Amino acid sequence: MPPSRESMQNRGDEDEVCPVCKSSRYLNPDMQFLINPECYHKMCESCVDRIFSSGPANCPVAGCHKTLRKNRFRRQTFEDINVEREVDIRRRVMQILNRREEEFDSKRAWDDFLEQREEIIANLVHGTDVAKTEANLHSYAQANMHSIRANQALEAQEASSFQERQTQEQELARLRREVARQEYENERREMLAGREDVLSRLAAGGPGDAAAIAREGQKVLLKKSSARRSEEERIRQKQAALRGSENKKAGQAALTTADKAGGIGDPSFIKGLKRIKTPEPEKPYDPFGGLAPNKRDYYTLRDYYPSSYLDPLRQNVRAQAGGYDLQEYYSRTLLEAFAGLGCFINEEVAQRDATSSLGATKPVSTEGAAMAASSKSPAESF
Amino acid sequence: MAVSPLPTRSPSTTLSTSNTAFRLKGVAARSPGNAPSPQILQNADRELTEQLNDNVRQRYMKDKKLGEGTYAIVYLGHLRTEPSSLVAIKKIKVNAEYKDGLSMDAIREVKYLQELSHPNIIALHDVFSSKDQNLNLVLEYLPLGDLEMLIKDGNIHYGAADVKAWMGMLARGVWFCHENFILHRDIKPNNLLIATDGEVKLADFGLARSFADPYLNMTHQVITRWYRPPELLYGARQYSGAVDIWSMGIVFAELLLRVPFVAGNSDLDQITKICEAFGTPTEENWPGVTKLPTYIPADKGHIVPVQGRDFFLRQFPTAGPVGADLLMSMCTLNPSKRSTACQVLQHRWWFTEPRPTNKEDLPRKAGGSQKMGSDLTRKGGELDDSPFKDTARQLDFNAM
Repeated sequence: MPPSRESMQNRGDEDEVCPVCKSSRYLNPDMQFLINPECYHKMCESCVDRIFSSGPANCPVAGCHKTLRKNRFRRQTFEDINVEREVDIRRRVMQILNRREEEFDSKRAWDDFLEQREEIIANLVHGTDVAKTEANLHSYAQANMHSIRANQALEAQEASSFQERQTQEQELARLRREVARQEYENERREMLAGREDVLSRLAAGGPGDAAAIAREGQKVLLKKSSARRSEEERIRQKQAALRGSENKKAGQAALTTADKAGGIGDPSFIKGLKRIKTPEPEKPYDPFGGLAPNKRDYYTLRDYYPSSYLDPLRQNVRAQAGGYDLQEYYSRTLLEAFAGLGCFINEEVAQRDATSSLGATKPVSTEGAAMAASSKSPAESF
Repeated sequence: MAVSPLPTRSPSTTLSTSNTAFRLKGVAARSPGNAPSPQILQNADRELTEQLNDNVRQRYMKDKKLGEGTYAIVYLGHLRTEPSSLVAIKKIKVNAEYKDGLSMDAIREVKYLQELSHPNIIALHDVFSSKDQNLNLVLEYLPLGDLEMLIKDGNIHYGAADVKAWMGMLARGVWFCHENFILHRDIKPNNLLIATDGEVKLADFGLARSFADPYLNMTHQVITRWYRPPELLYGARQYSGAVDIWSMGIVFAELLLRVPFVAGNSDLDQITKICEAFGTPTEENWPGVTKLPTYIPADKGHIVPVQGRDFFLRQFPTAGPVGADLLMSMCTLNPSKRSTACQVLQHRWWFTEPRPTNKEDLPRKAGGSQKMGSDLTRKGGELDDSPFKDTARQLDFNAM
């Protein structure tokens, strides 16, 4: 919307001059000034057309070497160019750091976030640590693309639903006014009709009836108006109830959409974000449940150990048929011979005491895991 | 493999060290036959062990009775300091058979359970003796009943993935026992209890013993009949972990079929049923079988050939071809050809589709604490064949 002639006059810039072409408003009353958010140097519309129509070019203001593009030129909103700039920066930062309060663990974390955002804006406005802040913002924007987009969509949705509600309310108010006027009209008409009726009856009736007729007419009017009033009350209550339920529904919808939003927060940049649980990828099924089969730290098992003691058993058909396996005996003997090597009770006790003093609950499989844990000592052969 | 015997199995995390270190010694000293020999020391030692025993006893509170059998009473209990930590206290009855000692079952249970700590084996937290020299075992509380309950309940539907998850847990438990050279010798669905998180735990070590000792005869009168392998039915006195694998295979079949697979009425009937189902053992498929003490030669005209892969595929279609292979390897007649627990766990079946269900998502049923009570009070190797087996169960309003 172009500013009206009055507002321009009010600003008292009759003698305003374009800093580039030096043409003044006096000569060209329709002159519009444009700025580019790259450098915020002001120039008139015709200068922009002249200089930038054929593609990007340097800013014509002396000493400013920024390359500007025509499509970025726009009308100034605030008179103070610094305010204009700050508002631009703020808008940009807010678009990136668009976390919502419900995404934070606590009020405190949310407040910290707000403060952090203000600090970033202030840094950019006043030119402190610009490079670092920009880099931070950029990496955050990269990392949180999804959540930023989700929050933007949410915001847009909220804005549109707010708009909708606004128009709906206006419509309702209009209807209410209409109804009220209609009622007033009806009442007036009825009153007039009643009065006419009374008059005509008075004209027709005898002199003795006059007082009675007048009283009766009054009563009828009163009755009608009270009936109307109660009817109105009923309708109003109904409407109020309807509106209440609608509001509730809208609130619920907002809540569910808020739940849906969310992404992976950058823990180093914004603190206090609610942990978003991402389901861990399912590990491949381990039939041994974390223990390692056939693990021997101190010996390797042989297939045959010569022993005259065991020889009769090797020939015993019954034992063989029953499934008795000498291999198991070898295995057990060696296991028992080496059991306890590499176990340091003192260390285990100290470890257990440490964990119990921390209040950590001991997982059931600790001992089993310890059993499977490999020892670094070289395997010996027997 | 290095395992320290340090007991770290209390449900409470706050435990005084000295207490645990001496606890088992205290119990051991209490059991008859193990009394300290020097006469002078005896008095002081008795006092010390008594005191230690009292320390343990006072850490637990008994709440209510969960079940009672001929052999034991099971109570629900909790830590005195922490009412939310539930335990099952199995109080072993003083047995008339063992007038001046403890019953074998109790000794076996304590002896082997205190050495095993594995997610798929019921945990023994503590042991103490109460008045009248009663032995009390403080066991992990497993409130969700057992596998038998799930198999029998027609309202519960489960699939191949659930069976795979249960079998995986069972196989891990058995493997861990065998790896530590302990035979369970009573694997059956109602000894497989289910924890709150759905984990299946091997319970009832009343028939357990260590194995692999040469020249040491073991009894063949173990394992509940339906789950007893052919070598025990033929009276083998020297056997190995293969007996547990057979039971596991039968449990696997029962999980798939939802009825006991080979359910004989007597030991003889059991052999016949096994021969019909899996094939007749002969010298060809099982060298030396005829030399077993109670081998009964099969009827010459009625020799069933050893069943091949087709039979298992046909009989257990839900397991899939790979599952049928595994079942076949677990139900091999010749114990030395049967898979070991380790081989079972290395089988391809665990990695084929469907993936085993996560333990939290397994089908479950309420009212398991009574079941735990009855499971733990049963004597080893017995079936639930009470005279009132088919009568309606008494309504228990506490369980609702």
